[in-house]
Amino acid sequence: MSLLSAEASRPLKITIGGVRGVVGDTLTPELLTNFSQAFGTYVGPGRVLVSRDTRPSGRMVSHCVLSGLAATGCEVVDLGVCPTAALQLAVKDSDAVGGIAVTAGHNDADWNALKFIRADGIFLNHHQAEELLNVYHQKEFTKAAWDELRPVSHDYEAAERHLEAIRAQLDVETIRAAGLKVAVDCTNGACSDYTPDFLTSLGCEVFAMNDDPDLPFPHEPKPTPENLSQLQALVSAAGADAGFAHDADGDRLGVVTEQGEAPGEEYTLCLAAEMVLERGDPGPVVTNLSTTMRVEAVARKYDREVIRARIGQVYIAETAFNHRAAIAGEGSGGIVFPAINYAHDSIAALVHILELIARRGTRLSELVADIPEYYMVKQTVPCPPQRSFSVLQELREDLRAEWADEINLEDGIKLIGSDRWVHIRVSMTEPRIWVISEARGPQLARDLADQYTRRVRRLS
Amino acid sequence: MRGIQSLKIGISGVRAVVGESLTPQLIVGFAEAFGTYLGGGVVVIGRDTRPSGEMVYNALVGGLLSTGCSVIDVGVCPAPTIGHAVVDLAGDGGIAITASHNPAQWNALKFLRADGVFLNSYQGEELLNVYHQGAFALQPAGSLGRVVRDEGAINRHLAKVMAATDRKAIAALHPRVVVDSCNGSGSVITRGLLEKMGCEVIAINDVPDGHFPRDPEPIPENLGQLGEAVTEHGADLGFAQDTDADRLAIVSADGEPIGEEFSLAFACDVMAAERSGVLVTNLSTSRMIDEVAQRHDCRVVRTKVGEVSVVEAMIAEQAIGGGEGNGGVIDPTLHYCRDNLAAMALILKGLATKQCSVKEWAESFQPSAIVKDKVPCPAASIQTVLLALQRKYADEDLDLTEGVKVLWPDAWLHARPSGTEPIIRVIAEADDQPTARRICSDAIAVIREVIG
Repeated sequence: MSLLSAEASRPLKITIGGVRGVVGDTLTPELLTNFSQAFGTYVGPGRVLVSRDTRPSGRMVSHCVLSGLAATGCEVVDLGVCPTAALQLAVKDSDAVGGIAVTAGHNDADWNALKFIRADGIFLNHHQAEELLNVYHQKEFTKAAWDELRPVSHDYEAAERHLEAIRAQLDVETIRAAGLKVAVDCTNGACSDYTPDFLTSLGCEVFAMNDDPDLPFPHEPKPTPENLSQLQALVSAAGADAGFAHDADGDRLGVVTEQGEAPGEEYTLCLAAEMVLERGDPGPVVTNLSTTMRVEAVARKYDREVIRARIGQVYIAETAFNHRAAIAGEGSGGIVFPAINYAHDSIAALVHILELIARRGTRLSELVADIPEYYMVKQTVPCPPQRSFSVLQELREDLRAEWADEINLEDGIKLIGSDRWVHIRVSMTEPRIWVISEARGPQLARDLADQYTRRVRRLS
Repeated sequence: MRGIQSLKIGISGVRAVVGESLTPQLIVGFAEAFGTYLGGGVVVIGRDTRPSGEMVYNALVGGLLSTGCSVIDVGVCPAPTIGHAVVDLAGDGGIAITASHNPAQWNALKFLRADGVFLNSYQGEELLNVYHQGAFALQPAGSLGRVVRDEGAINRHLAKVMAATDRKAIAALHPRVVVDSCNGSGSVITRGLLEKMGCEVIAINDVPDGHFPRDPEPIPENLGQLGEAVTEHGADLGFAQDTDADRLAIVSADGEPIGEEFSLAFACDVMAAERSGVLVTNLSTSRMIDEVAQRHDCRVVRTKVGEVSVVEAMIAEQAIGGGEGNGGVIDPTLHYCRDNLAAMALILKGLATKQCSVKEWAESFQPSAIVKDKVPCPAASIQTVLLALQRKYADEDLDLTEGVKVLWPDAWLHARPSGTEPIIRVIAEADDQPTARRICSDAIAVIREVIG
C-alpha cells in the first residue's frame, strides 16, 4: 500500500487524546458506542456530561455516545453544542464522574473524535487512557438492567457559566474603559453563540464573522495564518484594534494585529503569558517541546522558569497542575489558565489578550514587536502509524548534531542549541512525522529543518 | 457455562433482554442494516414506555444517520400510531421500539415499510441478509441525515379514529369505561380518545413509565385488578391494553374478563354490518368470526398466524375487516395495522347501536370455549410431531397451511410451532370447556409421546 494512498492517509487514531477518525470510514457507530460503553464502564456508575462542536457529524456521534453511556447505567447530561473548556469546567464543578467531548478540534469536517474527561475536569492522563483502552479491548462493559437505566437530561447553560468563570478573572473596568474594537472569526464553531456577546458585555465594539453554528466551516478550523485572510480583511475594514480566530471547539486561538498582520499562532501563548505574569500570578510557565523560544524570552522578563512537557493537551494540563504553573500553553495557540481550570481555553485567551492591550495602552502590533524574533519552520513527512516509531528509533541511533547542547528524548527527538533547536516527533492526530526547527534567521531555520526532513523521508 | 440465550433475531425483527443481549452494538448494527436496506431516506421512529426505549432510540438514530437516513421521532406512542405516522409523514420506513406483551426486561425492534405496514417475511429475510453481510452503506460527514421531532402523531391518530367513529351514538350511550393501559404507551392517548367519544373514563395503570403492574398480555388471568376496578366504579365495561396498544381485551360490567377472542369478534360484527365482503383472520382464531360472517353475508379467509400474514391477505382480498384472536383488531378503513384504539371505537359503536351490554353481546354468540396451551418441543422434533398429529387425525378434515389444524363440525384443534420459542402451541375450541380441554389434552399427549 502506497504511503500516499487515500486509505493510508486517513486511518483511525487512538491515542491518549482520545479516539479520532473519518466519519463513514473508520469512525463508525459501532466504534463510538463501544468506546462510550468502555468509558461508562471505566468511570461509572454516575453522571457523565456530553458536549459537541458544530461539525456536521456531531449529532450522529452524539446519539451513539448517549446510547453507549446510558447502556452502562450512567446518568447522561447532554450539554449540546458548547466549547470543550465549558464542558470541562462543568464536569469539574459538578458531581459528574466524567465527560465526553465530541470534537475533532482543528481537523477538517470529515473527521470527528471523542475526548475523555475525568471528574476533575482534565483530560485522562496517559495511564488512564491506557486503562480505558484496556476496558475497550476486553469488551466486558457494564450492562445496566432495564430498571437501572437513567433517562438523558439536558443542560444548555454550561457555556454561560464558563463565561462567568472567565469574567471573574478579568479587570472588566480596564477593558471597558479602553473601548476596544475587536474583530472575531468564530469559524462557525462552538464559540459562535458565545464570544461575540461576551465581548460586547465587556464594553468592546464587536465585528463578528463566521458566527453561525449551523453553517459549515468556512475554512479549515485551525487558526494558522493561511486561514486568517478573511479575518485580516475584516480587521482592516473595521479599523479594529485586534482580530481573533477560534478553532472549532474553542481550544486554540489565532491573533491578527491592528495592522492586519497575523504574527503566527505562537504569539497567542506569549501574549497571554505577558498578561498573566504582569498581573502577578505566581508560578512557572509550562509549554511543550515544540513551542517557540520566545516563551523563555517572555518568562525571563518576569524571572520565571519555563517547563517544557511532551506534546499533547493532556501533558500540558498535567504538567501545569504538577508545577502549579501561572499559565500553560502550546505554540499551536491552545492556552491553559490554571486559575479557571486545566483546560485549553480559546475564549479566556482572547479576553486576557484584550486586557493586556487595555492595560498597556499600546497597539497590539507593538506588543508583538516587543517579543524577540525567531523563525520557525514546520515540515511534515507522511508516515503510516505502524512505521512512525521505528523511523524515530533509527534516527535516534544515528544522530548528527554537534551543535546541540542538549538532546531531549522525552517526546521524539529534540536537539537544543543556545539559539536554535529542531524537534522531530510523531503527530498525535494525523499519520505524519513533524520536523520543527527554530533559529535566529529564516535561512538557518529552513536549513536545519531540511536537513532532518531529508533523513526522515529516507527512513520512512 | 453458557447463559440463557436471550437474543432473538427473526424476520419480524429483533428482541433481546436489557442488560444482557440488548446492546448498543446490536441496535446500531440493525439500524445500519435498515438504512442500507432502504438506501437512505426518511425513517419514522416511535417507542413504547419501556425505560430502555431511550437508549435504544439513541443507538438507532446514530446508526440511521450514519447511513444517510434522516429520522422523524414521534416519541412515546402506540405501535399503530407509528404505522399511521410513516404514511402521514411520507416516510420510507419506520421502526417501532416495543416488546409488546413481553415482560419489562425485554425490548425489541419492529421494522415498517413505506406503507406503514410491518415488513413481510420476504422483506424480513432481505433485511436479515443485509444485517448478516455487515456491508453497510456508511456515509461521509457531509451526507449524514438529520433528526426532527414530530409532536403531532398522537393527535393525528386520534383524529383519524374519531373521524371514523359514530361519536353521537357513543356519546348518547355515555358509557362508563375503565381503561387499564398497563403503564404502556396506551397511557398517552386512550383517556383522551374515549373522553372525546363521550365516555366517562376511569384510567388505571396510566403512568407512562414502563413499570408494568401486571403481565402485559391481556388474557383473563392478568385482568383481576381491572375487573375489580370495573365493579368498584359500577362501570359498564373495562378495556385492557398491552404495552404498545395493539392488542385489546374486554371486561364486562360484572368484572369478568370475557376472553380476548371477543375483541375481534365484536369488532368484526360491527365492520361486517356496514358492508359485506371478506373478513381475514388466522388459523388459531375462534369460530365466532365464521359466525359473524354468516350473520352478515361475508366470507372468511384464514391465514398463518401473525399480523403481517393477516395484513397481506387483507390487502389482497380488499377485506372489510380483519385481525387476530389474541385481541389484535385491524380496521382497513383506517390503516393496515392492529390498533386497539380503532377496536375500542368499533366496540363502543357496536354497544351503542345494539343497545345491549357487553355480556349480552357475548351471549349472542353460540356458546363456545377456547383452550390455549403449549408444549415445549425442541426444534429437531417439530416435523416428527406434526406428522404424528397428521396420522392421528388422518380421518378428519385437515388444514395443513401452518402446523396441523383439525376441523370437526362443532370443534377444531390447531397445533403449530411457535415462531419465537421452542414450543408447540395447541389451541382447541368446542361448544364447552370440558370438550375443548379434552381435545387439547389428547393432542398434547400425542406430542409428548413423540418427544419422549
